[in-house]
Amino acid sequence: MEARRVLDEFFSATYKELCRLAFTVKGNAPSVTLSPTALVHEAWLKLAKSPQVAVTSRLHFKRIAARAMREVLVEAARRRNAQKRGVGVILLTLDDSNDISGSPEQDVLALDEALQELARLEPHHAALVEYRFFGGLEFGEIASALGVSEATVFREWRVARAWLKQRLGQPR
Amino acid sequence: MNAGRYKQIRALFLGAMELPKARQQEYLRTACPDADLVAEVLAMLEEDEPDDSLLDGMARAAREIFAQPPPVLAMPGQFGPYRLGKLLGEGGMGVVYLATRDDIGSQAAIKILREAWLSPVRRDRFLAEQKTLAQLNHPAIARIYDADTSADGTPWFAMEYVDGAPLTTYVAEPKFSIDGRLRLFRSVCEAVQFAHGHAVIHRDLKPSNILVTAAGDVKLLDFGIAKQLGSSGQPPVETRTGLRLMTPAYAAPEQIRGEQVGIHTDVYALGVILYELLTDRLPFDLSALSLGEAERLILEREPERPSVMAGSAGSRGARRADLGKAAWADLDVLCLTAMRKDPQRRYRSVDALIRDVDHYLSGRPLDARPDKLGYRLGKFVRRNRRAVSATSAAGLAFAVMGVYFTARLETARNTAVAAVARMQRVQQFMLNLFEGGDKQSGPAAGLRVSTIIDRGVKQAQSLRAEPEVQAELYLTLGSLYEKMGNLAQADTLLQSSLDRRRSLLGSDHLETGQSLVALGLLRAEQARLDEAETLVRRGLETIERARPRDAGATAEATAALGKVLTSRGSYAKAVPLLEQAVALQSRGAPTLDLAGTLKDLSDTQFYAGHYDACEALTRRALAIHRDFVGDRHPLVADDLINLGAVQFQRGRYGDAERLYRQALAINEPWYGEDNPETASTLSMLGRAIVFQGRYDEGLALSERALAIQEHVYGPNSPRVANVLNELGTVALQRNQFDDAEARFRRMAEIYKSAYGEHHYLYALALANVASVYLAEKQYARAEPMFRDAVRRYSEALSPEDMNTAIAQVKLGRTLVGEKRYAEAEGHTMAGYKILIKQTSPTVSWIQTALKDLTVIYEALGQPEKASEFRVLEGAKAKEPAGGGK
Repeated sequence: MEARRVLDEFFSATYKELCRLAFTVKGNAPSVTLSPTALVHEAWLKLAKSPQVAVTSRLHFKRIAARAMREVLVEAARRRNAQKRGVGVILLTLDDSNDISGSPEQDVLALDEALQELARLEPHHAALVEYRFFGGLEFGEIASALGVSEATVFREWRVARAWLKQRLGQPR
Repeated sequence: MNAGRYKQIRALFLGAMELPKARQQEYLRTACPDADLVAEVLAMLEEDEPDDSLLDGMARAAREIFAQPPPVLAMPGQFGPYRLGKLLGEGGMGVVYLATRDDIGSQAAIKILREAWLSPVRRDRFLAEQKTLAQLNHPAIARIYDADTSADGTPWFAMEYVDGAPLTTYVAEPKFSIDGRLRLFRSVCEAVQFAHGHAVIHRDLKPSNILVTAAGDVKLLDFGIAKQLGSSGQPPVETRTGLRLMTPAYAAPEQIRGEQVGIHTDVYALGVILYELLTDRLPFDLSALSLGEAERLILEREPERPSVMAGSAGSRGARRADLGKAAWADLDVLCLTAMRKDPQRRYRSVDALIRDVDHYLSGRPLDARPDKLGYRLGKFVRRNRRAVSATSAAGLAFAVMGVYFTARLETARNTAVAAVARMQRVQQFMLNLFEGGDKQSGPAAGLRVSTIIDRGVKQAQSLRAEPEVQAELYLTLGSLYEKMGNLAQADTLLQSSLDRRRSLLGSDHLETGQSLVALGLLRAEQARLDEAETLVRRGLETIERARPRDAGATAEATAALGKVLTSRGSYAKAVPLLEQAVALQSRGAPTLDLAGTLKDLSDTQFYAGHYDACEALTRRALAIHRDFVGDRHPLVADDLINLGAVQFQRGRYGDAERLYRQALAINEPWYGEDNPETASTLSMLGRAIVFQGRYDEGLALSERALAIQEHVYGPNSPRVANVLNELGTVALQRNQFDDAEARFRRMAEIYKSAYGEHHYLYALALANVASVYLAEKQYARAEPMFRDAVRRYSEALSPEDMNTAIAQVKLGRTLVGEKRYAEAEGHTMAGYKILIKQTSPTVSWIQTALKDLTVIYEALGQPEKASEFRVLEGAKAKEPAGGGK
């Protein structure tokens, strides 16, 4: 239970840091190239010195940060989406959002939805995609995180990626 | 789709993916009878490309999303009784809306926790802010009204709505002077201090969290990441991670390092805010830096001094010119002390910071110790040049410092080849004393001057390799001890200084001469007046021989000789010497040195009873002092006191009272209520009031003075005796003989134990007791005591001294009372002859003598002589019992 609480706290801190980093992007030049991976990397640099982050491994941090990054991105996409559509609610039902498909917000929300489905079907594949997309983990890192070989990770990744691409390419 | 189907898809995909494209379909059809499934896997295999287009696409999407400004959050319209209005702001945790309570029509600010679902910790923290605000009931902290959770589980609370501008925006108007900004800053500090008093640290102080209303009231907002000190509920981990939410520009180094935070963290942020208020910029420009770079900068770089930044481009330039260099130097110290990297070296509390803001606003020296060499010394020199010799022996130690530093540094400056290097050495030494040497101890709020000097002596003793510097320091420190009344230690040091200089430089060196003079002045203080005179004379000769054309050095020594002769009562000899020193120092523009000598001369003229001369000299000194230090400095107060004393002696007690009150108005705020300088001014004012017949009013002041002196110096201090003298004199004046006698007897005991039986002050106290008996017509008791006083004065001072003369006159009067006219004649006449040589005929003692001589000669049957003295006798003057000023 305590471990759960610490993780929760750690996640929250990471989430806040990523939010903060993401907000700092807005004032910068349009040429800025900040990807989720770059944000996680910045967050790591920032949080690595805090004591309870220091005891975790960089890998552990990245895994947690990947989750947080996904939340940050999805939350940002939701809010902007809602704003664009002039809808006075925070949470948007995904089914209502077809009319603006193709926007970056929609891409993110669609990926999130697809990942939620994938997590139901094969949690390991969902985690793999999350690590890779939002946490910037290398295959070797994911391999050690999941306790399998790098070759296995790469093969499973190909399955998950193909499923996602195919899933996202379909009209829903 | 279900998990089983996905499993099948995965297996088929893995089996087919390594095969050549042409063979994949065949493989799948063989392996799986379900045509839909095969079609699906085939479609997936189409997507199996080595590129990372999906990843790249997501990265691009993320970039686009983050590059847009964050949108305004829309919220349901109603929270409890509050109807939401416009968005006021978004913080790390929540959003704040303006809200109206329709039932009572009042406005509030509603803070709503966003994404409450994200983690229970966020919810806890939000509730902690509510609790914090609820316990902080302060006019400068936004108050909480109401708190609840909405139907969907979103926690919210309503607080005081503050219609104001962020601190930095508010002061952007040109009308805000630096002082105005500091006063606002002070209000902010008070609110933060209040929170600290409730064990709450804010941790996120920044101008946007500090609003100022149109009425100019400060309100502190957003205790969102505030921390309750010493609360057991939150684990230490939380304390630290919470800091991650903080705005980097105002974050203290320890916050960046993720270390424990405390009161000092808020002190740092206040320092940054002050910096911004003074310079219109942040101490570090973080805008073009990555986070890592920004943090390194905050951890490693010292900020530029505000005084420099305030003058640079981009800052509203007029600000810099508002204040003088000295004021900016203070502001630099104030600001940079709050912002020190090491929390232990910052102001220890916000209270300490407030105190120094107050010191700055009232033009007094700061408690904070400067980092920069030369600062503190400069401060003292500017403020207190010549202050010691100008104030009486009771001078406050702080006022003392500057004079002797200046004097000694000037001495060093005048010396030959190694002068510059040595001066720097001495200067550095003195500054090290103020630095305290102890880096752990933080700003020394109550560092006592005596501690500084003791420390200085220890350090000076270790400077054996630099004997000349050591001799210089011994002279300076010895003179400081002397002014603080520590005569034994002063003796040791001044003697050492003289011995060292003799052996190092020879007996004919200028500096040896100056050490002789300094030791001579100490001997005068010790009432060893013969030695004093000899030493100072030898010093003066040495100086004149060594440096015949050095007017400054000669003037200083000549004035010293004048002072020694004054303390011997040889006013007639002292006056021309002091006039000579004044003449030497009057070449060129007026200086504080000149004002000091003018004051010495005016004192001598006062003791000699030449009140017109005294008044003219004091007015000259006053004009110079006002020019140098302004109207509200103790040096000015001293001059006013001397003018008051002149009026008092002339019997113009109303005028004296007015002048003493002006002096008190300066000294009381400057020194504080419980200070000997204040006490001494009070005591003189009390006397002036008593002499106008307002006894109770005056005595109340004198009693207050006595209480202060007893409290500060202990009940057996000679300073207490001085006040007892005043009170005894008043009691005698009111014919309260028992009271007067008791006061004078206590005074005698104090002097006896402090100075011994052979000191003239002991004689003075005994003579005053005798004066009580004289007033009571107890001639038999008075007579032996006056005889005793005459003998003691003659031995301690000289047979020709004023005090001896006064005692002779009083003895004569006692004998007249006993009708022993023949015996009386000798004493009264002896006293009269001394007095007439040294003082002006208006002095009350001469009047007394003349009157008595008239009576004596009439009684002795010599009417011609009697009428001779009757003619000389002028207007009757009041006769105070105490001798001297």
